[in-house]
Amino acid sequence: MARKRRSSKNKKSQLPMALGGGAAVLALAVGAAVVMKPSERREDSPDSRFSIVDYRHDASRLTGNSYRLVARVENIETLGNDRLVAVSLPNNKQERLPLLVRSGVTGRVNLTRGDTFAFYVQCRNGQDAQGLDVKGIMVVDKVETE
Amino acid sequence: MMKTFSYIAWLPVLCGGLLMQQAGAQGLGGARKSVSSVADVQRQAGAAQQPVMQLNQPQTGQMEHVPKVGQSYVDPNSGETPNPQVLGMEMPLLDPSGDTMSYNGAKFDVGNNAVVRARFEKYLNQNPDDSTEAKRYRKRMNALIRLTQKTARTRREIGSETLEKIGTGLYELNEYDGDGGQATSLASAIASAVAAQYANRNRNRKNDALQKEIDKLVYKTNLMTTRNTNRGQSGKNTAGARDGGNSVPAVANTFSIAHNTKKIATMEAAGVKNDADSLAATELAKINFQSTIVSLLLQRRYNHALIGAHTYRHIFRDGDTTLKLDSDSQAAQMFEGGVGLPPTVSTMATMAANMRRDVDQNMEAVANMLALNKLGEATNSLIQAVAIGEYMESVATFPMEGRRRIAEYWNLRKRALPALNARDYGALEEIAAKMKAMDPDFDDSMLTTYCKGRKEQSNLHLRNAAKAIKAGDEETFNAEITKAATIWPKNPNLDKGREQLEKIDNQDHIRDEFRTLIARKEYRTIFNEQDKFEVVAIDAELKNQYKEAITLISTIDGMLQHMQDAAKHDSVMGPCAAYEKLLESGEQDPRYKEDPKYRDALNQFALAAHDFTKALEQAKSSEARREYGSALANYFRAQCLYPPSTLAGEGVKRVSEIILKAKF
Repeated sequence: MARKRRSSKNKKSQLPMALGGGAAVLALAVGAAVVMKPSERREDSPDSRFSIVDYRHDASRLTGNSYRLVARVENIETLGNDRLVAVSLPNNKQERLPLLVRSGVTGRVNLTRGDTFAFYVQCRNGQDAQGLDVKGIMVVDKVETE
Repeated sequence: MMKTFSYIAWLPVLCGGLLMQQAGAQGLGGARKSVSSVADVQRQAGAAQQPVMQLNQPQTGQMEHVPKVGQSYVDPNSGETPNPQVLGMEMPLLDPSGDTMSYNGAKFDVGNNAVVRARFEKYLNQNPDDSTEAKRYRKRMNALIRLTQKTARTRREIGSETLEKIGTGLYELNEYDGDGGQATSLASAIASAVAAQYANRNRNRKNDALQKEIDKLVYKTNLMTTRNTNRGQSGKNTAGARDGGNSVPAVANTFSIAHNTKKIATMEAAGVKNDADSLAATELAKINFQSTIVSLLLQRRYNHALIGAHTYRHIFRDGDTTLKLDSDSQAAQMFEGGVGLPPTVSTMATMAANMRRDVDQNMEAVANMLALNKLGEATNSLIQAVAIGEYMESVATFPMEGRRRIAEYWNLRKRALPALNARDYGALEEIAAKMKAMDPDFDDSMLTTYCKGRKEQSNLHLRNAAKAIKAGDEETFNAEITKAATIWPKNPNLDKGREQLEKIDNQDHIRDEFRTLIARKEYRTIFNEQDKFEVVAIDAELKNQYKEAITLISTIDGMLQHMQDAAKHDSVMGPCAAYEKLLESGEQDPRYKEDPKYRDALNQFALAAHDFTKALEQAKSSEARREYGSALANYFRAQCLYPPSTLAGEGVKRVSEIILKAKF
């Protein structure tokens, strides 16, 4: 089906509007890119910045990122002085996020099951005894009571 | 006496008309001892013996173990005694303890003997003989019996009016077909005996005349002797005067005297010969008549025998009614009944009368038992009555309805023995049940118990055969099947055994197919056709594979069924549990994964527990990429969806340990 041809007069009148719209989209994109890049700074609010689903899907992608997560302790596994704590986030209580808590990190904070704390974490890669990679582990740097 | 006679009474049952023919053919010749004595008399008289008598000389000496004419051979070392003989005929011996009859070297079961059956069945299928002719016949017969009984007490004469009436009456009886010519035979025997008596009377008259002639000759001879004596004395006195002139008359008398003396001796010899002839003829006539009476008795013609026995004394007036039997023979002992007295014609008359009464009593009992539905006892009584007195009025006129009922029962009873011989226990039980229904008194417990026992025995062997085939023991299988078939050939379960045999025959093809399926790991096909492939168990190696295949699929099916039920019960965690269990089983036994039903179920539960399975898969995938953070989070996720999850729990434990031991 042949499309109806528009007049050149109309094209001239629409050009400034198109340029203005493109500039707006570019500004939005730049703004979004600035906003969406979290790796360079610690987030105070875990609500919108961190997703367990994303973490489960590909934790390596988050390597290097730091977060402040307010989470409730659901389970604690201990090996020596280190602990592996399973926490639930307020926005997704159905899932558990594993956090590695090294000895001395908690300071005077006593991690107890069922209580909510603020965890300052960073997604890191490590190595096992054989020197093989252990990727995408949320290592706790600091814990505060909430 | 009655017990003794029961032995005889079975004779016609077994021998029937044939025996009568034998009696007719051997009758006179059979009484060897008696004929021998007659021959002795004749020998004394100097008469020539007849060829028939020479042939029937008693056999003695060297032929002790050789059977006599008509007698069965018995091994002298066997301990058995040969059957007795009456008038040269072998007598059947009944053993009441076993209901068996010994005759002509063979033993018969009188309760189920072919001849007994045939005669009894013939009787059962005959109409009652109450025709006008039959009634007239019986009326005449009874009148004759009364006449002979009455005249037995009166004066008897040869050629008397009574004898004429008896003879006429007997010939009239012959008009009835049912008489079978017996009355004529008896009448002929009477006529022969009377003719012999007439001949004796003529010989007696001749002897009287001879005696008178002898007396005359003796008188004349005495006179001539006296005269010669007198002449001799007077001649001495006148010797000188008559010397040589008067000697001629004396010589003539001397010749006459010698002639008379010779003639007297000749006539005396003729008289002695006549006496001997009369004696021999009388003995022969008695034997002939007695054999006729015995034959009638044996044929159960008791009325005829009774008439004959009563008439006997009309004809033979010497008072000697003793049966001409060897006193040492078993037959004579049977007739005398063990009392030690010689059997007489009167004995037979008594027997005949007793048998008539017994038969009538039996028939009365049959009627009474039929009224009480005691068909078994009624049948036995009727068999006895028919066997003893088939021609008696009470038996011949027995109503058709009674015969039909007994025939029905008899047919069942008759079928029982062939069924037993054929070991058809099903049919036998059916017969017993029918007989019980017809006769509540019939005791079927022993029969049914026996049948049940034999059936169980047969089935037990079949079970052993089934075990043997499963164990691959073909030899035992064949032996057990043979035993089962021998015990109960019509066992319906034998067909199954036969099918097993056919399977064995086709096992090569099946074995190949089985091996192919095992190689392809198509265990479910084997399971679905396990009856077909059961025969491969004969091969010990294939047997294990067969068992494993059946067990594997049975286990899978059982597990799947259990999982299905669990999933229905809990639609959230049920599929998770089922999936994990199936997955775990599949990991433990890789053969599970070869089963299409297992795979289908696994897919089905994976779909139902999508989140759980996805979490586990992602966990495993992440773990493989050494992204332990993601792996642990996924294991946590799976654990949240299905807390009892073993896979998730183990994953959590395993990955946690790795993380805790790692350096960051």
